[in-house]
Amino acid sequence: MNGLRRSISNVLAVAYKETALLRHDKTLPQNVLLQPIIMLLVFGFALSFRPTQVPWAVLDRSETSASRALVADIQASGYFEPPGRVAGYAEAHRLLRSGRLGAVLVVPSDLRRRMERGRPEVQLLLDGTDPITAARVAGYVTQIASHVGRRTDPALRGRGDTSPAARTGPEAPVDLRQQFRFNPTLRDLDFYLSAMAGFLLTNICLSAAALSLVAEKENGTYEQLLAQPTRPLEVVVGKLLPNIAVSYVSLAMATIGSGLAFGFWPKGNLLLLLLATLPFVLATLSIGVFVSTLARTSAQAIFIAVFFIMPSFVLSGSMLPYQLMPHGVREFGGLFPLRWFQIIARRVIERGATFSEIAVPLGVLVAIFSVLLAAIRWRMKPRLG
Amino acid sequence: MSTPDAIIRAEGLTRRFGDFTAVDDLTIRVATGSIFAFLGANGSGKSTTIRMLIGLLTPTTGEIEVDGVDVIRNPRLVRDHIGYMGQKVSLYQGLSVRENVEFYAGLYGLDAAALRERWGALSERLSLRDVEHEHPADLPAGVRQRTGLALSTLHRPRVLFLDEPTAGVDVHNRALFWELIAEEARAGVTVFVTTHFLEEADYCDRVCFIESGRLEADGTPAELRARWSQGYRVRLAGDAALADAPDLRRLLERCAPDGIELRRTPEGVEIAAGQLGREWLRAVGDLQRTHPSLRVSVDEPPMTGIFRALSGRPA
Amino acid sequence: MSLRRLWILMRREALATLRDPFTISILVLVPLMALLLFSSIMSTEVRGLSLGILDLSNGPVSRRIVRELAASGNFAPRRFATRAEIEKALRAGDISAAMILPPDFERERGARAPGSPPPQIDVMYDGGEAVLATNAEAYLKSLVLASVGRAAGPSADVVVVPPDGAAGRPGLAPGPAGEVGVEGGATSALPAPGAATPPARRAATVGIRVVPRALFNPRLDGRPYMVAGTFGFVLSFATTLIIAVSVVNERFAGTFEQLQVTPATSIEILLGKVLPLGAVFSVDVVLMMIVAWALFGVWPAGSALFFVLLSVFYMIVSLSLGVLISATSATAAEAVSKTVLLSTPLIQLSGFAFPVRNMALPFRWIAELIPATHYIRLSRAIYLRGEGPLALLPEIAVIILMGFGLGALALRAIGRRT
Repeated sequence: MNGLRRSISNVLAVAYKETALLRHDKTLPQNVLLQPIIMLLVFGFALSFRPTQVPWAVLDRSETSASRALVADIQASGYFEPPGRVAGYAEAHRLLRSGRLGAVLVVPSDLRRRMERGRPEVQLLLDGTDPITAARVAGYVTQIASHVGRRTDPALRGRGDTSPAARTGPEAPVDLRQQFRFNPTLRDLDFYLSAMAGFLLTNICLSAAALSLVAEKENGTYEQLLAQPTRPLEVVVGKLLPNIAVSYVSLAMATIGSGLAFGFWPKGNLLLLLLATLPFVLATLSIGVFVSTLARTSAQAIFIAVFFIMPSFVLSGSMLPYQLMPHGVREFGGLFPLRWFQIIARRVIERGATFSEIAVPLGVLVAIFSVLLAAIRWRMKPRLG
Repeated sequence: MSTPDAIIRAEGLTRRFGDFTAVDDLTIRVATGSIFAFLGANGSGKSTTIRMLIGLLTPTTGEIEVDGVDVIRNPRLVRDHIGYMGQKVSLYQGLSVRENVEFYAGLYGLDAAALRERWGALSERLSLRDVEHEHPADLPAGVRQRTGLALSTLHRPRVLFLDEPTAGVDVHNRALFWELIAEEARAGVTVFVTTHFLEEADYCDRVCFIESGRLEADGTPAELRARWSQGYRVRLAGDAALADAPDLRRLLERCAPDGIELRRTPEGVEIAAGQLGREWLRAVGDLQRTHPSLRVSVDEPPMTGIFRALSGRPA
Repeated sequence: MSLRRLWILMRREALATLRDPFTISILVLVPLMALLLFSSIMSTEVRGLSLGILDLSNGPVSRRIVRELAASGNFAPRRFATRAEIEKALRAGDISAAMILPPDFERERGARAPGSPPPQIDVMYDGGEAVLATNAEAYLKSLVLASVGRAAGPSADVVVVPPDGAAGRPGLAPGPAGEVGVEGGATSALPAPGAATPPARRAATVGIRVVPRALFNPRLDGRPYMVAGTFGFVLSFATTLIIAVSVVNERFAGTFEQLQVTPATSIEILLGKVLPLGAVFSVDVVLMMIVAWALFGVWPAGSALFFVLLSVFYMIVSLSLGVLISATSATAAEAVSKTVLLSTPLIQLSGFAFPVRNMALPFRWIAELIPATHYIRLSRAIYLRGEGPLALLPEIAVIILMGFGLGALALRAIGRRT
C-alpha cells in the first residue's frame, strides 16, 4: 500500500511539473481554442457528400410540358444550379468530360407518345468521376422524376392511386417503406460532427505526447529523468495527466460548439460519453508516448506521429464508412483507437446508446491502452539511448 | 575614399532588430595582411558585425567596404574575395571531409588540377591527410576546426573572416590553430577573427573590444595594456632586505621617474609598471648581477583585466 | 547562373539525400502506403453488410427473399425474434439495417384484390451512418424487388433487373427524403449488361423513369477517384515536409549560411535542392502509377506522359512551399509542425475526399487558393476522363501561376539577408 501511495505522489509530482510547463506552452491556446473552432467550421460547413450546386444541362428533344415540368422540378429541388442547354450528345459529352457539368438530362423526342403508352423514360448522363456524387445525383433525379408525370399531365391525372400516402402503383408487388432512423433527413452534418471530437483529440493527444519525452531527450534531461527514483511508468502517467485535462476541455469545446453553432446536441447520456472518452484519450496518448520513445529528435517524433494520425483519420470510418472498405484495410483500421472511439461517439451521440451497447469498443480501447503501456515500459527500461 | 592599406573598412555601422540595437555606430579599419581580433562577450554583437561585413546581413545604417567592394550594394561581388568560417563549422554530415572539400572547391571554380595542388598543400599543413575520408560527426572538435579553416581558404581569398573559430577546442589545438592563422597572415592574407577568449588577443596585430554593440576600445594589444591595465607586475624575489636596497631605488628612479607602486611581499617586492620597455629590462638585469639570488618574474596584465576595466567604465 | 555550380550543388544534395536512410524510407514508403491505404476507402459497393431480419410471416416467399439476400453477398442477414431486439441491435450498431416482414405478408401477396395496396415491408436504416445507409438502400431495394419478382413468376407485370453477377450492382441511391416509396415499375437501378428489357406496362404510369448512365466510370468504382487524389496528397504533403526539414536542418547546421557566402546564387541554391528531390519524387510518381495499375487496374485514361509532366511541375510548387515554410521556422520540429498544420486542411478541403462543390461558399474560395485542389482536379480529369492538355488549360495556367509565385517567394527567402 505504501508503494502505491508513493507511486501516486510521484505521479502527481511529475504532473505538477508538466502542468507548470504547460502553462507556458504557447501552442496550448491554439490547441484548445483555435483548433476546435476551425474544425467546427470545416466539419460543419465544408465536409459533405451531399451534392449541392450541381451544374447540369438539358438536352430536350421533346419540348413538352412534361419535360419542362421535370426540369422545373429538378431545378426546384435546390441541389442543382440553373440548367444550361446543350444541342446534342457531342456537346454533352464534351462538357461532361471537361468537368464543367455534373449531369445532362436527355429527353427523347417521343416523350409524349411514351407517356401515353405508359413508359415514359428519360436518360441521365452523369460524370462518373466521383462515384458518391454521381450516385446521389442520379438518386435525386430519379426520385424527382418519379413524381412529375402525375402532377402536370392532365391526361394522367386521376389514373392510378393518387392518394398521398401510397406512393406506389396498384400493380406493385410490394411496398418497401423505408426509413432512416436517428437522422431522418440524412443530414451529413451529424455524421461528421459526431466524429469531430475524435479528430480533435487524436490531433492534440498524439502530438503532445509524441513531443513529451523527445523534448526531454533533446534537452538532455531524459537521462536525468530515468536516473531518478521515480519509475518510468510513473513519469509517463504523470506527463499524461495534464494532457488528459486539456483533452477534456477540448472535448467540451467541440460538443458545446456543435450545439451552439449547429443545434447538434448529443442524444445520449453525456456522462457516458465523458466516461468513454477516457480510455480513448489514454490509448491515443500512449501511442504518442510510444512514438516518443522511438524517435530521437522532435522532428522525427512529429513526423512519425503524423503518420499515425493520417491513417487514423482515413481508416477509422470517421470520413467514409469503414464497413465499405475492403477486408484487409478494414481490419488494419481497427488497430487505431479512433476507429473504436468514433463508433462509441456515434452510437452515443446519434443514437443515444447505453453502456452495454458500447461495451465492446470500450473494451478494445482498454486493451489497446494496456498493450501500449507494456510496450512503453519495455522501451524505457534498461536503455538510455 | 579608402585608405590604401585598409582592406576592410566599416563606417558608422548600425544594426537594429526592432527595439534592440545589436550593433551601434561601429567604425573599424583593418590593415591589409594584419590579424584583427574582435573581442567581446557572448551577445555583444560580434557575430552580427561579422555577418554584416561579409554581406549576409544588411546594416540598418552605415557603410562597408571589403577589398574595394561595397558590400551593402554588391554583396555577391565580395564572395570571391573572402573566405568565411562560421560559428558552426559548416561541414555536411552526409559527406566525407574530402567530399566536402570537393564540393566547396567546385563552387569556387577550382578545377580538379588546381584543387589537387591546393588541397595537397593544405591538408599537409593542417594535418588533415589522415581524416580525408572520415565523416564530420566522427571527428573531434579540433580537427573539425582545422577542416573549416581549410575550406575557407581553398580559393585563396585575400580576406578571411573567422567567427569564433576556436570555440569548443582544447588549449593545445587552439594554439595550433593560431599558428596556422599567423602563417596565413605572413602569406599576406588579412584575417578578421571574432572570439570570446580574451587571451587570444595577444596573437593579433590589432584588437577591438565590443560590448552591447558599441566599440569600447581599438588598438594594438600593447596600446590597450598601456591604456587600460593595471600595468605589468614585476616580482622581485630575494631576501627581505631587498625592499630597502639602494640600487633598487636607483633603478626605480631611473626607469619610472613619476613614481611607482611598490609593495612588500613575503618574498621581496612587487612592482606595478605601466610599460615595460628596454630600460626596465636592462635595469632589472643590472639588479640581478648585484643580487645574484634575485628571482625576477613578470606578469603581463591579462586581457580579462583590461576587459573588466573597460566594462566597468562609465558609459 | 552557372550550370557547373548548379551541377555541383545538385550532386551534393543527391549524395546527402541518398545516404540518409530516414529520407529514403520516407521517399519510398509514404507514397506506397498512401496508395494502399487511401485508394480503397471510398466505395459505393456494399458487401456483407449486417442486416437484421424480423420475419413475422415466415412463409416461402419471405424465406426466399432472405435467402437471396444472403446469396448476393451484399448483405449478411441475422434473424431476430422481436421488434424490441432488432431495434436495440440497430441502435447499438450491431446491424446497419433492419427489415421487418409483416405476419400477413404471404397472404396479402397471394390473394389480392385489384386496387388494394400491396403488402408492406418495413426497412429501417441506421441514419447515423448516412453514406452507408444510402448505399445500402440502393442495393436492398433492388435485390428485394428482384427477389419478389422472381417469386411471382415470369408472367408478372414486374420489372426485373437481375443483379449483375455477384456484385448486385445497382449503384445508385435515392434521395434523402424521409420515406421513399418505390413504384413497382420504376426502379432506380442501372440496367446490367444484357438485362432483359422491361416488358411493356399498360395501365397507369406514375412518374417518369430515369435511366442513368455514368460516363467515364460506369461501375462507379471509388478507386480511380481516390488514386488520382492520392497523388495530390503525396505530392503536396510528403514533398513539402521533406524539403522543409532539409532546409531547416541546413540552416541549423550553418551550412546554409556558408552557401550564401560562396559564389553560388540564390536560384542555383534553390534549384540545387529542388531538382534532385524533384527527380526522386518523379520516380515515385511513376512507381505509384505502376503500383496502382498492378494492384487496382487503375491507369490514366488520358496521356500518362502528360500526367507525369504535370505532376513534376506541381512538385516544384510544393517544394517551393516547403522552402517558404523552412524560411519561417527555426527548428526542424517547427517546420514539421507547420507543414502538418497546413496539410490537415489539405486532406479536408482540397477535394481529396470531399467534393469542393459541396462546400459552403467561403470554404470553396479557400479551397481554390490551395494549389493541391487544382492539381487533384487535373489529376482526376486525366485519370478518369482522359482529358487532354488543351481542354485543361485554365487549371494548368492556375498551377503555373502559383508555381511562379511561390517559386519567386522561395527565391527571395533563400537570398534574404535578414
